[in-house]
Amino acid sequence: MEQLILASGACDPAADIICKPENVNELFEFTHPLFSIGPFDFTRTVFLTFLAMVIVLAFLYFGLRKTRVVPSRFGVLVESAVGFVRDDIAKGVIGPEGGRYVPYLLAMFLFLLVANLFEVTPGINFPITSRMAIPVFLSLLTWVIFVVVGFFKNGFRYVLDIIWPKSVPIGLRWLVGIIELVSTFLLRPLTLAVRLFANMVAGHLMLTLLLVSGWVFMSSVGDIGARSIIGLPWFVFGLGIYLFEIVVAVLQAYIFTLLSAVYIQSSVHPEH
Amino acid sequence: MLQLLVPALVLAAEEAAEEPSGIDLLIPETSELIAGIIAFAIIFFVVWKWALPAINRTLEARQAAITGQVAEAEKTKAEAESLLEDYKQQLSEARSKADSIVDEAKATAEAVRGDIVAKAEAHAAEITQKARAEAQAEKARAAASIRDEISALSVEIAQKATAGAIDATAHRALVDQFLQELGEME
Repeated sequence: MEQLILASGACDPAADIICKPENVNELFEFTHPLFSIGPFDFTRTVFLTFLAMVIVLAFLYFGLRKTRVVPSRFGVLVESAVGFVRDDIAKGVIGPEGGRYVPYLLAMFLFLLVANLFEVTPGINFPITSRMAIPVFLSLLTWVIFVVVGFFKNGFRYVLDIIWPKSVPIGLRWLVGIIELVSTFLLRPLTLAVRLFANMVAGHLMLTLLLVSGWVFMSSVGDIGARSIIGLPWFVFGLGIYLFEIVVAVLQAYIFTLLSAVYIQSSVHPEH
Repeated sequence: MLQLLVPALVLAAEEAAEEPSGIDLLIPETSELIAGIIAFAIIFFVVWKWALPAINRTLEARQAAITGQVAEAEKTKAEAESLLEDYKQQLSEARSKADSIVDEAKATAEAVRGDIVAKAEAHAAEITQKARAEAQAEKARAAASIRDEISALSVEIAQKATAGAIDATAHRALVDQFLQELGEME
């Protein structure tokens, strides 16, 4: 966003309606570390990652620190979030065995929810999940869990059922087997990570472009005259997208967690 | 063809090396990856070791409290129903007892009234009888007294009239005889 504002300041709005920054990637990259510990650069994204962690911990602490028969309003919110992940996602998708995956799924959901909502948090306006690190890490972790669980529960039959699915007509088994093999071991972690990453990148780009360009047009009224009114619908549209992105942030956290549960369920009960 | 293609590829490679590509965004930064792993590990540990046990304790306490309250309410309700039943029974018994007491009181009062009336009637009759007897006695005494006086007067009159023709004792006997005959005639 800073790059866009700098770019808008450098260009001549009377002559060039479209001004672009030198490097759009810098909308997502914060290359200047706040400080470094050896090779570890403490950048803004790293700071926001730890801030997300602190927010999640505070959310849990203030909601659950006292055992109350009648919970407070905030306690109800925390209990609802926990109950939602435990009952609707873990046990709802995986079944009774889903209870043992609740810590993982709950930690994932809360972390992703806060990380995604940074996109629409005033003063931050940057979803840390629009960087590939967290989506890749969590999708690989899910992949490791469901593969390990699959082998642990079913032994080698886990892979055999994937490459030679008995519910498919015998003539198509080899084809479906290859597709399933690629899908399960390669595409699942990739799509899981890219889906979240791409949604947050797209949302961040849309918000940035709409709000900044709208603001730049409206604030250039001295230079471009009546044409500055073009910025108003852009800005209003940007505010609409802002509300939409709140839904997207929550939805993407939910989808990532739900798909992780579905993948684990497919290893716990491969016959389904 | 190759002579044209190679410089173009070299140029493209040089440009790619100079200008950042969008594909860079798909490569995770090491520091961000480490930060993400640490942050998620801490969250997972806290959720696993503290948050879920805490919420389970809360739910168990709530369930126990609700179960206890429901049991207490049921017990209280049963006690209340039992008490109500007792009260109803006691009320019914009290009403029945009150009715019997009232009936008994009525009967007793009736008996007492009859007794009193009978006693009063008897007493009245006795008084009447006594009064009659007394009146009769009084009457008899008065009659005797009158007789005595009449007799005395007669004797006195006769003595004065006859001046000693008969003595007083004989005269009194005559008078008594006369009065007796008079009484019999009455």
